[in-house]
Amino acid sequence: MEAVIQYLLTGLSVGSVYAMMGLGFYVMWSAAKAVNFTYGDIFMLGAVLTVVLMDIGIGLLPAALLAILASAAGAAAIERGFVRPFNREANAIGWMLTTIAVGTMLESSTTALFGSNPRMLPSPLAQEPIRLGGAGIYPQELLLPAALVVVTAALELFYRRTLLGRAMRAVAYNRTAAGLVGIDADRITLIAFALAGVLGALAGVLIGPVVQASSTMGAIIGLKGFMVAIIAGIANARGVVIAGLLYGVTEKFIEGYLSTAARDAIGFTLMVLLLLLFPQGLFGKKEFSKV
Amino acid sequence: MTALLSVEGVRVSYGRIEAVRGVDLAVAPGEFVGVIGSNGAGKSSLMRAIAGVLKPAAGRVSFDGAEVTRLKSHQMVAKGLAMVPEGRMVFADQTLRDNLLLGGFSRMRTDRAGVMRDLERVLVLFPRLRERLDQEAGTLSGGEQQMLAIARGLISKPRLLVIDELSLGLAPLILDMLFPVLSSLNREGLSILLVEQMASYALAVTDRTYVMENGRVLFEGRSADLARDPRVLDAYLGRRRAA
Repeated sequence: MEAVIQYLLTGLSVGSVYAMMGLGFYVMWSAAKAVNFTYGDIFMLGAVLTVVLMDIGIGLLPAALLAILASAAGAAAIERGFVRPFNREANAIGWMLTTIAVGTMLESSTTALFGSNPRMLPSPLAQEPIRLGGAGIYPQELLLPAALVVVTAALELFYRRTLLGRAMRAVAYNRTAAGLVGIDADRITLIAFALAGVLGALAGVLIGPVVQASSTMGAIIGLKGFMVAIIAGIANARGVVIAGLLYGVTEKFIEGYLSTAARDAIGFTLMVLLLLLFPQGLFGKKEFSKV
Repeated sequence: MTALLSVEGVRVSYGRIEAVRGVDLAVAPGEFVGVIGSNGAGKSSLMRAIAGVLKPAAGRVSFDGAEVTRLKSHQMVAKGLAMVPEGRMVFADQTLRDNLLLGGFSRMRTDRAGVMRDLERVLVLFPRLRERLDQEAGTLSGGEQQMLAIARGLISKPRLLVIDELSLGLAPLILDMLFPVLSSLNREGLSILLVEQMASYALAVTDRTYVMENGRVLFEGRSADLARDPRVLDAYLGRRRAA
């Protein structure tokens, strides 16, 4: 029983990371019908930049905030330089190659500058585990689901209640029509990628104290976030959140009852099977037709 | 009088297919101009080039005395040209109110009060929209969606309203309601460029009409004259096409 609670709690924690990453892919895909495959590296930058900034004497919270803003600016720059020019035609796929290439460059240059060893991201919430129903967990890990709830609610409010959010939905629904009411769809797409950058970097900062910061921490997480978004049906934000949490919990149970080695093999197999059974995604509505 | 919109030698190509092959067209301030012609004549491509949805392969578009050939659609809206696109393109997943507010997107930051006033004004124009303000636009009938698309265009406060295929898929009853609204908007000073397959409707409300075929303007003239012109009678009024 204690083990079950343990897996559930840590699963929800890591699942929140997948969910936030999945939401980032949702935000990007909605606006551009393209995504940034460096997204795992934006996640990584959130954690790594926080450590670097703390090295030069900045406190945890301001360092985290600056790191998130810088990562978001990086995400926006990637949209401008490596997605937009390669996503001009209706079914363009050039952005896949260019963003994967930039991701690889980001990762290796971070390794060169930051070193290849993982570094601690010190957080007062990751010093002493607390006991919950027999399970031990860092408060930092509980912060993740809480942050996910806040992020999801804020995103929903943004899309429904603000003019910028409505404009983003308009661009997602029909880019031509958005232009015809005076919306600069390119600019909105840039903002969407920056917004996704905030989500990804925030996830990196929050999980950093638990997993340590390193140049390679983002690669597999980015892939899982993308997978979660696809499995959920990428056009459905709530579905993405649920799929992310479920995947996190499933992983921890596989880890617990089988082994860490089995985790990704079984996890990815499950994902492939699910996609075979639900080609539109678990919660997918029909994708809007491309205009 | 200088033209509000002037189009000179505009060509539009899709790959090797040339949809518009050198068209000249003008709209004077306050004028109600029609473009008629059969399906595939290049009317919609011409409108999309004028509105900045696509770039013309050649030619020049001027609006209000300035060249706007290379501007994008959102920049054209800011200049005062709004287009109601073929197929309406309402934002089906958003409420009517939000659709209308998005129509005022480019004015929202500088003139929110003006947007709200114009919102009220278009609801007077189309009372049926008022009853459905909180409904999602996707739940509207085709006629109501066309009303919404026109209202959404008006909220950007255009000086020229371009309407692409007003009648497409709409019942005569709805058209008998929509055309008088356009006429009254025009009488209040709005310039309108209307693309229409139903030639009889277009000729009845517009001042002047261009007839397009195969990507070119065949001829143009006062709508009242064209309505009696044998060339128009034979090709467009004799056997009226289903929309």
